[in-house]
Amino acid sequence: MILSVDHVSFSYTRDRQVLDDVSLTVQRGRNLGIVGESGSGKTTLLRLLLGLNRPTNGTIRFGEQALDTRDRGFMRAYRRSVQAVFQDPYSSLDPRQNVFGIIAEPLQSLDIAVPHREAVEAALVSVGLPPDAMNRYPHEFSGGQRQRIAIARAIVARPELVLADEAVSALDLSTRIRIVELLKTLGLKMTLVLVSHDLGVVASLCQDIVILERGRIVESGKTRQILDNPQHPYTRKLIDSAPRMPA
Amino acid sequence: MSLLSVEGLTISTDGRALVSDLSFAVGAGERMGLIGESGSGKSLTAMAITGLLPRNIVASGSITLDGQQIIGASERSLGQLRGSATAVIFQEPLTALDPLMRLGRQIEEPLRRRYRREGLDPKAIKNEVLELMERVALPQPERIAAAYPYEVSGGQRQRVAIAMALACRPKLLIADEPTTALDVTTQAEILKLLDSLVRDLGMALLFISHDLPVVANVVDRLTVLRNGKAVEQGAVRDVLGAPKNPYTRTLVEAARAFDQALGRTP
Amino acid sequence: MSAVAAIPARKSRRSWLFAIGLILVGINVAVALLTLVWLPYDPSSTAGGRLEAPSLLHWAGTDRLGRDLFTQIMIGSRIALMVGAGAVAIGAAIGVTLGVLSAFATRLLDDAFAAAFDILIAFPTLLLAMLVVAASDTASLWSAIVALGIAISAIVARLTRILAKRVIGMDYITAARTSGTSWPRIVVKHVLPNIWPTLLVNFALQFGLAVIAEASLSYLGLGAPPPNASWGRLLQEAQGTVYTAPFGAIAPGLALLVLVIGINLSADGLRDIGDPTRRGSR
Repeated sequence: MILSVDHVSFSYTRDRQVLDDVSLTVQRGRNLGIVGESGSGKTTLLRLLLGLNRPTNGTIRFGEQALDTRDRGFMRAYRRSVQAVFQDPYSSLDPRQNVFGIIAEPLQSLDIAVPHREAVEAALVSVGLPPDAMNRYPHEFSGGQRQRIAIARAIVARPELVLADEAVSALDLSTRIRIVELLKTLGLKMTLVLVSHDLGVVASLCQDIVILERGRIVESGKTRQILDNPQHPYTRKLIDSAPRMPA
Repeated sequence: MSLLSVEGLTISTDGRALVSDLSFAVGAGERMGLIGESGSGKSLTAMAITGLLPRNIVASGSITLDGQQIIGASERSLGQLRGSATAVIFQEPLTALDPLMRLGRQIEEPLRRRYRREGLDPKAIKNEVLELMERVALPQPERIAAAYPYEVSGGQRQRVAIAMALACRPKLLIADEPTTALDVTTQAEILKLLDSLVRDLGMALLFISHDLPVVANVVDRLTVLRNGKAVEQGAVRDVLGAPKNPYTRTLVEAARAFDQALGRTP
Repeated sequence: MSAVAAIPARKSRRSWLFAIGLILVGINVAVALLTLVWLPYDPSSTAGGRLEAPSLLHWAGTDRLGRDLFTQIMIGSRIALMVGAGAVAIGAAIGVTLGVLSAFATRLLDDAFAAAFDILIAFPTLLLAMLVVAASDTASLWSAIVALGIAISAIVARLTRILAKRVIGMDYITAARTSGTSWPRIVVKHVLPNIWPTLLVNFALQFGLAVIAEASLSYLGLGAPPPNASWGRLLQEAQGTVYTAPFGAIAPGLALLVLVIGINLSADGLRDIGDPTRRGSR
């Protein structure tokens, strides 16, 4: 068990409860899909998992230890193990940094003692980009390629867990399937938590699934089970709404 | 004569061709889907049809809408066609609506134009605004008519945009990625709405999107665009069932792969 | 992502104007540097005839005391550039620092900062200059530089605050945080480089405004006293004889015009310098 979320609640202001009593666990080797639409609290949940905000109630545990965002040493170790990929490939890469600087940043900031150049090269190769890409700038790449760069940045420190926030939602269909394939192969070496509203993508990548509606978990369990036999009406609505090809 | 006839359309800028030799037709009451990924030129095509290309982008070839040639037409004649012959729904309702104008008034604008055009009594406008809002299944029409765009949800904004398009009573409705920015459940609702409206009002539909499964369920015929060229055209059944072009095949396979993961395909 | 938005704007006309701007500014800089080693005439020498029209001997004529005007104008360009550069340097240093700090401040403090900047901006620059002069007891080159520097810092701070806030909201900043980068390092590595191009253009424009402001201050007698020959002071001296000897006003006025036009023309082109998205192709 890598991460566990125990009865976590979160609200920005007194009256608006964004997350309400959310509990889930991330098991090593089993990718988890957090499915929700806008207003479900999925982005907030992700931010809590990334240590960018503190829950107003409840605890997040990493292994046995509780996540303490104020403990610099702890957060450093945590970030070495938990990395992120964001939704918008056009705003998640600093336009003024070259690809090497972008991918090497976790190595530099987390003081990881590996030769940076080799690590960046290896990361680029794992995501299917040529090593010479490191000298170029984000604007020279397409959306799909940028997302690969973002993924390379997430894996360069060899984390145990990668949290992906709608990592393929902004991509075209043909690019989307390729990135999903990439994430599948990477998922063999690390565990993936994918936040998404796209059931098709989640079903392709995650063994376990959690359905979030308006800040609460309405259903959770093994993906196959939930898709074949949804219990909650919202889950059923999500499944029915997913666009499918005409037979 | 088709309602919309595009022949040999080429759109270029600075000597570069963004769309090359595109041809397709949409008859009255017909539904055509334009499938393309980013950079395919699909949005430019929609702009060309309504005569809204920016100054440095030039279209050549032929586009006839409701019997009139669009390419090279004067702003005056285009103005008369816009609304009556065709209306457009865009992708991002937040930017397609005026943030400083109440929603009811925004629907009024195209309505007012049509009333003037048809010589109708303007006193009936307020009522028709509410009727239109009910048509697009907006709850509490009076409240929403008095609201500003930021005060309602994305799905509701898109419904307002559809109401505005309908207010024109267009013969051809052009929908450019109308559901891409919406949640999946909202998307399903809006697609169903578009489907029923187009059917009930007998409008023609040009549905532009990169999302194959979304388009495939709303239209009868498909044109697949890649890098500005049409690589495949035909009835939805044929294009999806037996795609001839390798690019189309990749798209179809990708879509079916996701379907399979969901546990759909037999 | 609209394909329409991806078409690049035409750059050829802009580089033209940028080049002209640079040349004009360059001429001024060259002249200013030259004055450090050579002057056509001794600036305080009143050997020439009074109020002589421009001639081969005196390119811009002479002033009412018989001093060579061209020499005065050359020195004036040095004053203008020094005050402009000094004021912008002070304004930039203070303004960027305060702007970045306020971008990170909590709601209440940020509102206080924003209000302070706005009040300072609304404050008339000349009044500010007079206060600084009064505080330092005499008008001098430094009082002008400091006064203008303070005025500029408020504008720069407000701009920096907005720009920094926008950048901080971007995903790549969140990504930097999850990469473990500390906030100070994020400011240096990500925030400053991304706001720098816009700031640079603003600095250039402030430079032009500072030059004009300095001329106004000197015109009013609040700027650098003689022998520092500011263009503004030359204009003030030429006032009395503007109908009989117009060149006394035209010459410094023209010099001012040329420098400020040059600065404004080159300002816009500055944004492209060091911007990686302008080079390379997609």
